[in-house]
Amino acid sequence: MEALVQRLAPPPAHVDPDEYDLGADGEGNLNALGVVRGMQVPRVPDPAAFLSTYTNSMSQNPQAKIKLEHGTTTLAFRFRGGIIVSVDSRATAGSYIASGTVKKVIEINKYLLGTMAGGAADCQYWETYLGMRCRMHELRNKERISVAAASKLLANIVYEYKGQGLSMGTMICGWDKTGPAIFYVDSEGTRLKGDVFAVGSGATFAYGVLDQGYSWDLSDEDAQELGRRAIVAAGHRDAYSGNTNNLFHVREDGWEFLGNKDISELWYKYEQEKRDARVAAAAQPGSGEGAQGENPARPTTEVQSVPMEE
Amino acid sequence: MPGLSFDNYQRNQFLAAKGFGTPRATSTGTTIVGCKFAGGVVIAADTRATAGSIVADKNCEKLHRLAPQIWCAGAGTAADTEMVTQLIASNLELHSLSQNRKPRVITALTMLKQHLFKYQGHLGAYLIVAGVDPTGAHLMSVQAHGSTDIGHYQSLGSGSLAAMAVLETHWKPNMTKEEAVQLCAQAIELGIWNDLGSGSNVDVCVMEVGKDAELYRNYKTPNVRESKTRSYKFPRGTTAVLKERSWQVVDEQVVATGEPMEVDA
Amino acid sequence: MNATVASEYSAERHSVPIEHRFNPYSDNGGTVLGIAGEDFAVLAGDTRQVVGYSINTRYEPRVFDVGDNIVMTANGFDADGAALIDRFRNSLKWYKFDHNGKRLSILSAARYIQHLLYGKRFFPYYVSTLIAGLDDEGRGAVYSYDPVGSYEREQCRAGGAAASLIMPFLDNQVNFKNQYVPGSDGKKKKELRYLSLEEVIQLVRDAFTSATERHIYVGDGLEILIVTKEGVRTEYFPLKRD
Repeated sequence: MEALVQRLAPPPAHVDPDEYDLGADGEGNLNALGVVRGMQVPRVPDPAAFLSTYTNSMSQNPQAKIKLEHGTTTLAFRFRGGIIVSVDSRATAGSYIASGTVKKVIEINKYLLGTMAGGAADCQYWETYLGMRCRMHELRNKERISVAAASKLLANIVYEYKGQGLSMGTMICGWDKTGPAIFYVDSEGTRLKGDVFAVGSGATFAYGVLDQGYSWDLSDEDAQELGRRAIVAAGHRDAYSGNTNNLFHVREDGWEFLGNKDISELWYKYEQEKRDARVAAAAQPGSGEGAQGENPARPTTEVQSVPMEE
Repeated sequence: MPGLSFDNYQRNQFLAAKGFGTPRATSTGTTIVGCKFAGGVVIAADTRATAGSIVADKNCEKLHRLAPQIWCAGAGTAADTEMVTQLIASNLELHSLSQNRKPRVITALTMLKQHLFKYQGHLGAYLIVAGVDPTGAHLMSVQAHGSTDIGHYQSLGSGSLAAMAVLETHWKPNMTKEEAVQLCAQAIELGIWNDLGSGSNVDVCVMEVGKDAELYRNYKTPNVRESKTRSYKFPRGTTAVLKERSWQVVDEQVVATGEPMEVDA
Repeated sequence: MNATVASEYSAERHSVPIEHRFNPYSDNGGTVLGIAGEDFAVLAGDTRQVVGYSINTRYEPRVFDVGDNIVMTANGFDADGAALIDRFRNSLKWYKFDHNGKRLSILSAARYIQHLLYGKRFFPYYVSTLIAGLDDEGRGAVYSYDPVGSYEREQCRAGGAAASLIMPFLDNQVNFKNQYVPGSDGKKKKELRYLSLEEVIQLVRDAFTSATERHIYVGDGLEILIVTKEGVRTEYFPLKRD
């Protein structure tokens, strides 16, 4: 009998040891104190296989009926002036662009940012929850949580669900007593401290730009521009990334939002700047072989007249 | 080697396993019916063609001519009904020319079933074959695997149950031509309303002994779209001109100077 | 005489276990659409419910007034949708019992629905959820969700069977995407502005009559729930039934 009951009971969900056994009432899957209670799991021998059959949450079954939204290119890097966090805003469900206005930077609190890649709901939900846990830490300990501790909190939560289908690749970025810090945390349980990260399907494109232009001693303006440029490159080349770019700068006194810009408009602006630079270089006397040898800028409007043979 | 090519079968299985779905053929998720009357036979069809849950064609033709007085209604894979019908129509014409006789409905049916059986159901054609020939008026049907039916009334396709409900309630022996046309049109309409695979309009074809076949394209149009509430005309210049190109086209008169081809008198 | 004939079925043995696949989901079609205006919001849905090639009913309301000037829809698998909306209504009732009849803001409703959906992260509701109402400043608000609770406030959103047919139309006609000021050579975007309620209803009707033409799961009737500070009002327009 014991064995049977145990077998039918849902697997233990994440429980905060501090508050275990408190509060029977609550809302949704949170108890009265806002702690996550057991989540409903289908009564099948292998719940993870069930999830994989009906959703594309593990990206194994593209024909699954339930298409969960997936996030895509995100990056963050540490430098002399703090941390730059830059992300795109596209959410895709299969080949359908479900949204072009997603907030992929989750503001955990005034000093902490989390990024979203993988399952949109997973990141949004658990990073919001992380915000609650960080606030609890402040109230209990009368000081702000360190980035290391916050990221470990998240890593521990997702590790409890390992193998069950969570999908997230996130960067926890913030400023604490030790200065600026970035931790990469994913749903496999990985947790890494580092200076430069890019996560998502467009990460390789972002790394290309990032590694080429990165240096610890970048000025604030150059660092912000690098963050923006890397996302534009990824948005241009990766079909699953794009729409707009959100840029954040984390400094000692907290993060600052630096605006939302259209990626394709930025791309064409950068292209125009390249053309203008080439024209200017060609016009410069004594540079290269002169105007004749250089490739002139291609006119945007070309009017061609092709007369037919007589 | 004549016949269907299965060269890419293994590749396609592999692709399907990797999540690249096979391209969906336009299927005429359809309602088609046929009914005999005193002195002739009538067939009818709806005009919706679907690709999955999307309407691919709102007014397609599902009534095909096999011979001047033998027509058939097709359900199943649109391309298959179209091609198999054209092939049999050609062979029927050649047969009629060599025998110096008018083609018969039973000949068309036999040719169809032998062809379809040979392909073991891979040709997804489900047809109601009807017509008049020197032996009288006939109504028959053939399924993709090659089996055939003969009857006074028939229905096929995804809406066949809805249509058959009408036929079973209202059919009676020795109807007039007008009664038969009404019955068929009503049966198709029931398919249009109650089967999601069928829709839009009703096409009817009447074949009467001693007369030319008559095709009533869009015999009924119960699904005319209401007008839109707004105008969606964009002012000129709403999209930028990115590139311009112009050709100077010279109008040339070609004077034929060649010798005419020799033709046997 | 013995009247019973032994069937021999009891003697049958299977060499392999019989596999019964647990499939709790089906697709009931239908499409929904929400648009937020300056001081109003609309949530519209067709009233056809289907399964496969059959119509279950031509009139089953899809969009609901759930109280506190909030309208809600959960489109996809109807049983899941109904369960979700029931759960929300029930919690709202208890919220009022527990908090002296306090009004639930759309902001809080939105966050709460995220928890309802994410609570079934490992056994998802097969629905795309939308809610609409007015925010604390009295401006129109639409919130949209994926099946497991990722959500976002938007100006407009289409969900369900014909979402991919309607959404591009909305991008163009509500957010003026790809529209530029004539004569500006594609340099100046058409300026965004709030649409009037009349314009919005026209767009909704045209979106649904068009979707009805090209999607077999859409049709029969269109029900639009309109939220203003005066309350929730319903309008109904017939759609083609083929």
